[in-house]
Amino acid sequence: MMEFHLRTARDHALAPAARLQSLSRERGLGSLVIGAAWRALLRAYLAAFHRLTVQGRENLPAPPFVLIANHASHLDALSLSAALRGDAARRAHALAAGDTFFRSPLASAFAAYTVNALPIWRRRTRAGEIVALRERLLEDRLVYILFPEGTRSRNGVMATFQPGIGALVAGTPVPVVPCRLDGAFAAWPTHRRLPRPGRLRLTIGPSLTFDAAPSSREGWEEVARRCEAAVRSLA
Amino acid sequence: MTLAAAFDHPVTVGIVGATAAALAAAGATIGAMTLAGRGSPELRRELWLRLGSWCVLLPLMMGPVLLGREWVIGAVTLLGLACLREFDRATGLFREPLTAALVVLGILAVNFAALDHWYGFFVALWPLTVGVIGVGTIPLDRPAGYVQRTALGLLAYMLFGAGLAHLSFMANDPGYRPILLLLLMTAALSDVAAFTFGKVIGGPKLLPATSPNKSVSGALGALAVTTLLVAGISRSIFAGTALGQPHWLLALGLVIGVAAQAGDLMLSSMKRDIGIKDMGTIIPGHGGVLDRFNSLLLVAPAAFHIIAYFVGFGLGAPTRLITGG
Repeated sequence: MMEFHLRTARDHALAPAARLQSLSRERGLGSLVIGAAWRALLRAYLAAFHRLTVQGRENLPAPPFVLIANHASHLDALSLSAALRGDAARRAHALAAGDTFFRSPLASAFAAYTVNALPIWRRRTRAGEIVALRERLLEDRLVYILFPEGTRSRNGVMATFQPGIGALVAGTPVPVVPCRLDGAFAAWPTHRRLPRPGRLRLTIGPSLTFDAAPSSREGWEEVARRCEAAVRSLA
Repeated sequence: MTLAAAFDHPVTVGIVGATAAALAAAGATIGAMTLAGRGSPELRRELWLRLGSWCVLLPLMMGPVLLGREWVIGAVTLLGLACLREFDRATGLFREPLTAALVVLGILAVNFAALDHWYGFFVALWPLTVGVIGVGTIPLDRPAGYVQRTALGLLAYMLFGAGLAHLSFMANDPGYRPILLLLLMTAALSDVAAFTFGKVIGGPKLLPATSPNKSVSGALGALAVTTLLVAGISRSIFAGTALGQPHWLLALGLVIGVAAQAGDLMLSSMKRDIGIKDMGTIIPGHGGVLDRFNSLLLVAPAAFHIIAYFVGFGLGAPTRLITGG
C-alpha cells in the first residue's frame, strides 16, 4: 500500500499570476470549493435558460479521458463541464484559448477558478506544452475538455478537426469521448455579446481509444479524422 | 478602541516606534546606497524588494494587534489558513482534499474557541480534532496512504491551528498588546540576529544537512540577543507579577529564543526533505508566508503556557462571549 507520495505541487515555485496561466497548475481545496459552487450555479442556469438535456452519460469512463465536441459557442465548454459528475468533474480542465480567456490577471483567475481552464495559445503552442499536457493527462488522471476544430464555428457548421487531439492521445490508453452539442449556435452565436434562452441537447457517444496509433503527424491526423467522424455520427 | 487605549503601554509605544524607525533607517540606508551607486544593482533591487515587503508585512502584523482582539483573532485565522495552504501544496496534502478540509475546519474551530474566550473548548479541540482527522477519511475506504495523509493533517492542525491559535487566545487579555508585539518582534529579530552573527563571526555550521547557511555562532548569538531582549522588555510588562523576577524573565527569553530557532529548523527540515528552497512565492524577497512566520509556530504555544502558568490570560475578562453558559 502506502500510495501517498510526498510530492510538491507542480506549480509550487510559480508566482501567483504566473500560476494562473500555467499548464502545471494543480487544484487545491479553494479551487475545488469554488469550482463546485460554480458548477452548481452553471447547472441551474443551463437548466433554467437552456433546458439542457444530456444523453449517454453512461458512456463516460473513469478518468483519465478527453471529452471532445463540436464548437459553436461559449456555452459548449460550460455544458460539457456541467455534464460531468464526481471525480471526473473535479479533475476536469477545459483547454481554452489563451488570447480570449487569459488576456488579463482577472480573466485568468476567473477561467482558472471556475472551469479550471488551461490556456492554449493559438498559433504559438510549443511542442513542449503538448508534451506537458499529455504527461499530466496520464500521470494526474485528468479530464480534458477540448474542441478539436480549434475555434468556434462562424455559421454553425462543424469544421474539420485539427490534429492537436492526436498529439494528446495517440499511442496512449486514454479514451476520447465524442460528444455533440445541438442548439448552442442558436443560443449564443459568435456575433452576439450575450446568450439568449434556447434548448441545448448534449449527446455523449461511446469512447474511442488510440493506443495503437503512431505518435507522428500521420497518426495525429488519423486520430483527428476518426474523432471527427465519431462526433458527426452523433448527429 | 481609541488611539490612547491601543498605545496605553510603554512597550507598545516603544516597539511600534522602534519598528517605524528601523524601516525609515533601512529606507534611508538603501536610498543612500542607490544615490552613491554602492553595491550591485541586483543587490540594491533585492534590498528594495525586501524593504517593500516589510513595509506591507509589518502593518499587517502590527495593525490587528493595535486594532483589538477580534482583529487579532481574524488575522491569526487567516495566517493559519495561509500557512496550511503553503504546507499542503509543498507536501502534496492538497491532493487529499478531505483531510485538508478537516484541517481547515479545525483551524476555524480553534480560533472560534479563542473568539468565544472558552478555554475548555480551546483545549478540548486538540484531541477532538486529532480524532476527527484520524477517522475522517476512513469512510472513503481507501487505506492506501492513510498513515501519511493523516500524519500530515495532524501536523498541519497542531502547528497552524492549535499552535498559532495561542496568539488568538492571548488577545483575550486586556493587556495583550505589548506581549503579542514582543513575540512578533522577537520571532522576526531572531532570524536577523542569527544571519548577522553568522556573517560577522562565522565558524562551524549548525546543522549543515538541514540548513547549510546556519552557523553555531549565529544560533548562539541570536539566542543571546532574544533572551536578553525578551527578559529586558518583559520586565516592564510583568513587573509586580510572579513572572517579574529576573531568573524567570531570563527563562522566558531563553524558551522563546529556542522556540523561534526550533521553528525555523523544523521548516528547514521539511524543505530539505521535500527538496524545495521556499515554501511559497507570495512575499517578494522572502518566499512564502511560512518562510517568514516559521519562528512564530512554536513561540506561540511555548510563550502562552509559561505566561499562563505565572500570570494567566484574560482571567478577569468575561468568558463564553458567543456561546454563553
